[in-house]
Amino acid sequence: MNGVRVGKRIIGADAPVTVGWENIGRVEGGPAKQIFFTYFQPTVLFAVLAFWYYAPNSIAVASTAIMIGIAFKLFLLGLEWVNPRYDSWRLTWKEFATDLFYVGLGYTLLRMVDNYIGDGVMIEAIQSSFDWDKFAWFTGLPLLVQALLISLIFEFGQYWMHRGMHNWYPLWLTHAPHHYITQLNINKGAVGNPIELFLIGLGIGGFFDFIPRAFLLAGAIGLTVGVYQHINVRFNSPRWWRFLFNTTEHHSVHHSQDYEATRSNYGASWIIFDRLFGTCVDGEAELLGMEGGRRMPINETMTFPFTEGYKSIKSRIKDRREPPTAIPAE
Amino acid sequence: MKLPFIDRIWRVKGLLPLETPMSPATAFDRLDPLFQTNGTSYEIDGDTLTFRKHNPAAQDRLATFTRGTLTVGEREGRSVLAYNVTSPALLACFLAPLLFVALGQVNVAIGEYEKSKAEAAEQAGKADDESKKDDEADKDVKLHWLDVAMGAPAPEKPDEKDKEKDKYEKYSPKTAYILAAIFATLYLVGRILEPWLLRSIFRKKLYDTPPIDDMDPAERLSRE
Repeated sequence: MNGVRVGKRIIGADAPVTVGWENIGRVEGGPAKQIFFTYFQPTVLFAVLAFWYYAPNSIAVASTAIMIGIAFKLFLLGLEWVNPRYDSWRLTWKEFATDLFYVGLGYTLLRMVDNYIGDGVMIEAIQSSFDWDKFAWFTGLPLLVQALLISLIFEFGQYWMHRGMHNWYPLWLTHAPHHYITQLNINKGAVGNPIELFLIGLGIGGFFDFIPRAFLLAGAIGLTVGVYQHINVRFNSPRWWRFLFNTTEHHSVHHSQDYEATRSNYGASWIIFDRLFGTCVDGEAELLGMEGGRRMPINETMTFPFTEGYKSIKSRIKDRREPPTAIPAE
Repeated sequence: MKLPFIDRIWRVKGLLPLETPMSPATAFDRLDPLFQTNGTSYEIDGDTLTFRKHNPAAQDRLATFTRGTLTVGEREGRSVLAYNVTSPALLACFLAPLLFVALGQVNVAIGEYEKSKAEAAEQAGKADDESKKDDEADKDVKLHWLDVAMGAPAPEKPDEKDKEKDKYEKYSPKTAYILAAIFATLYLVGRILEPWLLRSIFRKKLYDTPPIDDMDPAERLSRE
């Protein structure tokens, strides 16, 4: 495989990756289907933003956001059924149950841990030890600007945390299990070792003060944009959308079996930081995963950072103890 | 170990009468693609095929049933495929509600502990720093003039009672219980759906002509 040069890198030398928007698949079907799958994403984004902007205070609460999130994901599961991107990514009962298990851990175990060592707790500890108040610079700004700031501040942190995970071995050990997914479906974002999910959820937004409604608006961006990272639906996303936001296409490249391709598209909802820092690859891939597409079972996902970490420490110690092999002089 | 009733949780047994008389060798030959996948080992001993799948791929047609035996024989003058397969995935899904109920209970216990700790601190007369901090944070926040002009509702100060309620809401077991119920439902769906799909896979592979439901619409109409 030759691969395609993108900047200084060769993408697709190890496994097939389609590079360039002009080469990716399009929605097949009549005009109604084309219109639906072209305008669905922006329409939902703007509709949900409008809802949170105007919802009365009694409705604009976190529990409503959770309900909307669940209903939206159920609808998207239906879309996966109707218009899959790839048949090889079709959701089976076992895949659905497995994904839901990780979602369940996120809603229970991870939240319990977050209550004690989550970013909220850490930020509060930092603020009280330095006697800092929250930076109340932003509460006077228009709501949508505040929402944009929340989203971008969180995204900036996520970008570097994610990039760090691909570049620093101890962090990679926590993130690697997530790269063993072999297909993209709605709940695949939750699949991974809980330590990674904890780390990727850390944000610095808590240092700043915003109006609560701005958080709901930012959450709407996360829901109606970030959700398309892991989904098996073919969309004709508009050009401006693909320029600003992380799409399934971008994220499939990130999850491809090609090593160099996995070191791209680190963003969560936005792709602009990848464009800014030179890690963006516009394209898509069908063959996903590691080790040629080996599916990692749940028990291995839970223990991987520890077992692999132990193995590498052991081998490092062994390497240091063993005297270097003498190379015969010619 | 024989567990005749309990093993129905994860074991599926069935008999599939074949349309045409078929030798075990021919039947296993037709089923062969199901076992030519990564992580699959199998052996044929006369009329019985025993298989085992280690961590099958997501799209493996037998991903749910990773161990089992298939026997081809004759009953009442007809060739039949008898299958006896087990599914660790079904068992795990059956047990998952217990895990989530347990997690819910742990959360309740943590909540009780935190509540008693807070009450003890209150009785000891320690000032509640948290509520003080909250009060400071509850200063009047005004919307930007643009938002006022566009008709966005103005923020309200949270009610003290609501705040107290919210403080311990994170220790509610409700989410864990909902998840337990979802997994219980998912188990029931899987226990019915997966054996049905398995039977349909065998039927597709072993029937000379596909069943009417699996046919191309044009072909189906011509047959009808």
